[in-house]
Amino acid sequence: MQLLRSYRLLVTWQALRKKNYLPLMLAVQTLFTLGIVLGYPLLFPTLDRTSIYLIATGAPAISMLSVGLVALPQTIGEQKTEGSLAYMRSLPVPRLAYLAADLTVWLAIVIPGVVLGVMVGAFRFGLDLQVSPLVVPAVLLVALTSACIGYAIASVLPYMLTVIITQAIVVFVFMFSPLTFLPSKLPAWLEVIHSVLPIQAMGEVTRGTIAPNEFGLPLGAFLTLAVWCVAGFGVTYAAMSRRA
Amino acid sequence: MLLQIEDLTKVYRSGTRANDGISLSVDEGEVFGLLGHNGAGKTTLVNQVVGLLRPTSGSIRVDGRDMVANPGLARRLCSFQAQAQVPIDGLTPRQAIDLLGQMRGASRSEAQRRREHLIEALDLGEWLDEDAARLSGGVKRLVAFAMAAVVPGRLVMLDEPTNDVDPVRRRLLWRQVRTLADHGAAVLLVTHNVIEAERSVDRLAILDDGKVIAEGTPGELKGRLGAALRLELVLDPDAAEMPASPFGLSAVPVGNRLMIGVPMDAAGQAVAWAESLKAARSVEEFTLGPATLEDVYVALVGGADAARTQVEEVFDATAA
Repeated sequence: MQLLRSYRLLVTWQALRKKNYLPLMLAVQTLFTLGIVLGYPLLFPTLDRTSIYLIATGAPAISMLSVGLVALPQTIGEQKTEGSLAYMRSLPVPRLAYLAADLTVWLAIVIPGVVLGVMVGAFRFGLDLQVSPLVVPAVLLVALTSACIGYAIASVLPYMLTVIITQAIVVFVFMFSPLTFLPSKLPAWLEVIHSVLPIQAMGEVTRGTIAPNEFGLPLGAFLTLAVWCVAGFGVTYAAMSRRA
Repeated sequence: MLLQIEDLTKVYRSGTRANDGISLSVDEGEVFGLLGHNGAGKTTLVNQVVGLLRPTSGSIRVDGRDMVANPGLARRLCSFQAQAQVPIDGLTPRQAIDLLGQMRGASRSEAQRRREHLIEALDLGEWLDEDAARLSGGVKRLVAFAMAAVVPGRLVMLDEPTNDVDPVRRRLLWRQVRTLADHGAAVLLVTHNVIEAERSVDRLAILDDGKVIAEGTPGELKGRLGAALRLELVLDPDAAEMPASPFGLSAVPVGNRLMIGVPMDAAGQAVAWAESLKAARSVEEFTLGPATLEDVYVALVGGADAARTQVEEVFDATAA
């Protein structure tokens, strides 16, 4: 009961705190999506059908990652540095309620950008997407997993290191991750690495539910994401509860 | 005693011994001051009580219950105003105080009623529905106080609550601090502002280099100084040597000034002596007044640190 009550109050608190972020995040995500959807056809003037679908469905995945693995950890890192995270940790509420509320608000910030991203892609390429109802849990899982991993990075590492690592992640996600292309295009060793990392699985569940007629939906990807999500949450929870 | 701290030691991983065998206790209805210059270990102490830091050794009990083993309980029993500004940009004071009150277990209407009372008592009405991002540092500080006081814990800890607050509202704030104690809370007040502490606390401890170097009521501590009066000499920069006190009591140099303890019956003698020093051009001017807690603080903490604290106080007073 106390958990739910605290959760409700903290969601209100964090939503009010972050309401000014929403337009900014929407703008960032829209720019990411537009960059991908409009930019790739310039790089590759003749795109086959699969590539078009990959780009249109990969863009929303990239926009979720850009928030969860970049914007979120940088924000948490700033909160750690300025002491506001310590204040939130001193509040008379369960840690679980705090983390759950913060993640809920982050998800609420990410989702409009994803919807917008899908619409922009479908419009640009004139696609008739037969979106599966599974898209709801899929998008929530992808957004939550990337937020949990981003939270864990910022909770464990010092701020400067968080900034450097998140910048490296941007490059890795954009250039070397099978989101807008298939994993088979990667060198074998990188393909092996991606079979363990969550990024490929994020791409698979996103495109498998947004364009189920074009791509299969590997259930293993859901499992991979669930494992990463729980691990990220666990590390974050432990770091939040830790007393130096 | 509601708060009992025994032999508390905190050594950071860097090796800094921020708290070194601190023991103190605060009773219900009492305002207890924790004084010390920057870096004396005050904030480290309160952060351990509220469960943000784990003590290296020692115990912290609130109402007889072990706070080190129960950090969750510590957060519920203590309300806390941190030294850093509260992260409430995006919220209005009304929203921030109401939400905090509800997090501390009050119903929405109870929280609103308490908030209305505090806003009026601290004269914050004109900012009630302003986004906190646009509030001045002092107003934000008062809102943070109201957040700690809206539904006070058994123990209320206030870390430098008057920083940046204007002189008129400082008085309103001190009145509310006293009200918290009058309603049964134990109040632990952290400050480096000795002058304000003298007027506001029932008892206090002076912290230096992580240790409690004195504890008692302001009266007891002044009594320990052995001097009812204080002679302050402003030294002539060209004077060859520092005058030696004829009273056998404390004589502490602070910058170009010398603070000398004087017994009440030696007032006339002190003025005559200071006049002679002035005539001999060893001092530029002097004042004789009642001894204050500041003199105790200066005598205990001594030279450079005290001078720094005093500079901060002058700075605070000017800023206010």
